[in-house]
Order: sequence, then structure tokens, then C-alpha cells
Amino acid sequence: MTFAVRAERISKTFGRGDTLVHALVDVSIALEAGTIAALLGPSGSGKSTLVKALGLVAPPESGTIFFHERPVVVDGVAMADLTALRRDNLGFVFQKANLVSFLTARENIEVACEIGGTENPRKRATELLEYLGVAHRAASRPETLSGGEQQRIAIARALANRPALLLADEPTAALDRARGRAVMELFRRVAHEQGAAVLVVTHDHRALDVFDVTHEMEDGRILPTRPLSQTPPEETHA
Amino acid sequence: MNLAYRDTRRRPGRFVATAAGLGLLFAVVISMQGIYAGLVDDATILANAMHADLWIVQRGTSGPFAEASRLDPTLESRAAAVPGVRRARAYTYQLVQRVHEGTTYRLALVGLAWPDDRGDSLPLVAGRMVAQAHGEMIVDASLGMPIGTVLSLGGEPFRIVGLTRNALTTGGDAVAFLPLADWQLIANEAPNEALQTERQRTLERLRATDLARTLPGLEDLPLDDRWRSPALPSPPIHAILLNVDPSRRDEVVSVLEHWGDVTVLTHADEEALLLQGVVARARMQLGLFSVILTLTAAVIVMMVLWTMTLEKTHDLAVLRLLGAPTTRLAGLVLQQAWMLGALAYLIAFGIGQVLYPYFPRRVVLTQEILWAAPIAVLLLTTIASVLGVAHATRVDPAEVLDA
Repeated sequence: MTFAVRAERISKTFGRGDTLVHALVDVSIALEAGTIAALLGPSGSGKSTLVKALGLVAPPESGTIFFHERPVVVDGVAMADLTALRRDNLGFVFQKANLVSFLTARENIEVACEIGGTENPRKRATELLEYLGVAHRAASRPETLSGGEQQRIAIARALANRPALLLADEPTAALDRARGRAVMELFRRVAHEQGAAVLVVTHDHRALDVFDVTHEMEDGRILPTRPLSQTPPEETHA
Repeated sequence: MNLAYRDTRRRPGRFVATAAGLGLLFAVVISMQGIYAGLVDDATILANAMHADLWIVQRGTSGPFAEASRLDPTLESRAAAVPGVRRARAYTYQLVQRVHEGTTYRLALVGLAWPDDRGDSLPLVAGRMVAQAHGEMIVDASLGMPIGTVLSLGGEPFRIVGLTRNALTTGGDAVAFLPLADWQLIANEAPNEALQTERQRTLERLRATDLARTLPGLEDLPLDDRWRSPALPSPPIHAILLNVDPSRRDEVVSVLEHWGDVTVLTHADEEALLLQGVVARARMQLGLFSVILTLTAAVIVMMVLWTMTLEKTHDLAVLRLLGAPTTRLAGLVLQQAWMLGALAYLIAFGIGQVLYPYFPRRVVLTQEILWAAPIAVLLLTTIASVLGVAHATRVDPAEVLDA
């Protein structure tokens, strides 16, 4: 079993004194390459904090994060160049597309390719635009794209450098059911066809069948993993 | 992919408007430098236009531009006789202010040793040199009067026959060159009432002496047209300009230094006196003002660039999350600052080219200004982008996740 990323007993707090919040409490999670995992849980359960920690954006205060079994953050201390790790191994998709506003759809993908050192960024961008069915919007600016189109461009950008780990934080929240479903199916394809580990934070229980595994969080802790068939729909709501 | 260009492309109108604003600011800064250079240039241009190797002035004075220098007219022939002197010319200088066709104008009158000097060393841009002993003058084009204009000076008409460029006084007034005899005529101009009063006083003084009784015809003398009142003396000359054999220059200086009534100044001395004395305060004033303006421009450019960077915070955070290195984000801000600076400089330059001719004083864009200004703009925008660069490099990628 190959883990793209693994967190071992990571913890993170916010605030101090009376306002101290334990956002993550001894969380351990492993994401296997080639699988798509859902991260469920109510609001404030620590899902986004865990995504930030795994994405090396806001490292935890204690515990260890391994990338391809190599420790990269130990007790809050970076053991590697996190920016380079993010650039080379990670792709992000958010609830909002967060496209660079002054770049066209194609340029948003190309710039990610450039940053990641991909050869021939233009060709790669074309591939991804076609893969995601938005090639006809290549020259459009973000503000002229629909929500669904923006999200597809964001996904294309996240895939630009063939990441080992794709983190998606409520990527379908702004989409209607059909488009949301299509995006989830797309993530599944990415995991299975490109061998990436995909972690999707979602509240949408209607698309849970696309996931290979689900993780649930509550009060900063990961609940024991259980098969999808045992995940009651009501528990997945915020 | 050049991110700075692409960001600029998003709102080109706004970028150009910002650059135009900065361009106006740069235009003011460059204008100040040009006015400063113009002042320095004007201060020495007249001295330079005379093409003299040596200036003989009244003993102990700093020459005709800095203070009053009075020399006996016979000194011209004395100086011409010194071995090594190729040419000696009397130099006279006087400011007049008159009204012509309802417009007040100021002229610095400089006498030419006609017929030896017909203005042949002057930088004529139109017309001709002085061709007759009386009634013609060459003026600077900045006076705004065309060739053929007739000015009334000293009760006599003077026709403008030639135009020079940049023959100005330290005060920026146009210089007029005319034969020395004409210059003296104008300098001697005195109202009839003053002459009559002086004649009367002279007669009264004569009558009070024995001389008037022993020489009866003497009382008629003040009534003669050729009579000149001692109280209204003929103007002296102000300097003697010498052109000397370069190989005998030191020898000439050595001879003249032994004359007790004069001081000899080299052309460099005269230039230094002009810059250090006549325009020193104005230079300092303009220099300090230029420094303040430059600092003001730097602060404004800094605020503009910082605001532009703040507006891009989210985009910068996205790029940072994608793994963009700090240098690339800093490069985005810096390149945009340079683009803004370059466009603003071009606009400033264009504004100057259009407006400078209408400035009341000369604005001189020297070679130094022309090559230093773009470098200064480059440095200014680089320094001014420090805040923006600092902000760009500190952007937290988590900002995107929190949005």
C-alpha cells in the first residue's frame, strides 16, 4: 500500500485562554495513492484545518506529516521546503474557484504548469481544458465564466502538475446537483486514472458513492473509519 | 508568462490613467531640474556668447554681471596694445524696461564695438548681423518680436535685424546687441527737464565764480547742444573683452595684473563668479525644491504601488498556494512598477516637449538630465516598490483557504 500523504497524531489549536479551540486533536490519517476519500463532518469539526495541515499551508503544532513516507513536518517544524512540496505534489480545489483574476482560463492553468516546471505548459493546458470539457472557454476571463466552468478550470489548474495529492474543500458547494455530481465523478477519474490520492471535504451525501473511503471528523478528531454502507446520510450534514 | 503585463492588460485604461498621473508628477520634477539647469545655463550663456578669453574689469570688482564695474573707455586701446592680445572689445551692459505697443518688456543692452564687432560671434538663428553704425540691433528670439520690429530707445528708433537664441541674462531677460555708440546714446538718455535743471544749476555755479566775470563767453557754454553736464556723465564701459594668442595667454595676464586700475578674470573665473555669486541662492532654492519634489514623488509612487499590490492580495495568495516562488511574486510587483515608471516617464517627457516652450523661463533638458531622469525613475520605482514587494512576499496562502 502506497500512501501519498500520512499524518500521525497531529494537533492544532487556535486562540488562547478562554478562547482556546482544539481544532485538531491527535489526528491520524493516511491517503492512499489512486483512491478518492471523502472527509465528512459538521461545521467546526476541523475538516478545513486538516486540509490546510495536509496541504502544508498551516502546519500542525505537534505530530508528523509524511509525504511518500518522508517526514516533512515534525512538531510544527518544516523538515523540507514546503512551498516546493506544495508546488510539486499538491493540487488544491476550493469551494470558490479562486482563479487568478487577471489571467484567462488557459493562463490560469499555464501559470500553474510554469510554476511546477511542466514542459510545454501550453500543450498541457490544452490537454486539461479538453479533458475537463472547457476548451471553448480557454481565452475567457474568470469573471465571464459560469460557476461550473470556473470550478472546472480550477480543477484543471490543480491537475496541471500531475499532483500526488489533490485536496478539495467543498468543491461542489456552489454548484447545482448535476454539476456537483459531475465534478465528483471527475475527481474519481483523476484518482483512478492518474493515480493521485484525492481528499474531498464535502457535505453532499448524495455523491458519496463515488468515494472509495470516507473519513469523519468531530470535535477535531477523526472517527473510526467505516464502510460507506454504514455512513448514515444525516451524519454527513453540517 | 509575464504576470505583470497580464495584470496590466486587465485594466489598461486604469493603468494608463495612473501612469498619466505619475507622469504629471514626474513632469513637475523634471521641469524643476530643467528650470534649475536653465538658470545655470542662463547665468553663463551671455558670458559664453561673448567668446572672450579674458575679461578686464574694474580693480577689486567681480565683473559686470556681479556688480558695477566701471572702466575708462581708453582702456580698450591700452589693452589692445598689449603683446599677445589679438582683439580687445569694450563691453557695456545695461538693463532697460520699456513699453512697446502696450506690452512691457525688459532688455539687457550690450554694446558692440562696431565696426570691428558686428555681432559675428553671436548665435544668430534668423536675420543678419548689424550692418550700419546706427539704428540696428540684434535681439534674442525669446523677446517675441520679429525681425523688422522697430523699438524706441533713448528717443531713437532701433530696428531688429537679427535674432539670437538663448542670449539671456541671469534673470532670464532677453539681450539686445547694438553698436556701442547707440548703447551710449540710450544709456545717456535723460529727460529735457533734467538737462535744463542741470544747465541752470551750472550757470548759477559759474556766476558765483570769478571765472565767469573774467571769461564772459563761458556762460554760453552750458547752452551749447554739445555740452554735457558733469552731473550726467558719459557712461563708462563695464569691461574689456580680450581674445589672446593661446600661447601668450599667461604673458598677457601677467602684464595686465601689473596695471593698478584693473582686475583680470579668465573666462572660467567669470563663469564661476556668475554661478557662485549671482545665481547661488536661486540655484540652492531650486535645488532644495527639486529634492523635496523628488521625495514627494517617491512617496506618492510608493503609495500607488502599494495600493496596486494590496488589490492583488488574493491573486498573490493563490499564486503562492500554487507554489510560486517569492522572487516571482516580487518580480510581478517590481516589473509592474517599472512598466508604470517607464510609461509615466514617457508621458512626462511628452508633456515637457509640448509645454516647455511656453514657460516664461528657459527649461533646459541637458544631456545629464536626459540620461539621468530615466535612471532616476527606474531607481525611484524600484525603491518605491519596496512596500509592495514586502507585502507580496508576506502574503499567506492560507488566505485563499479562508476566503
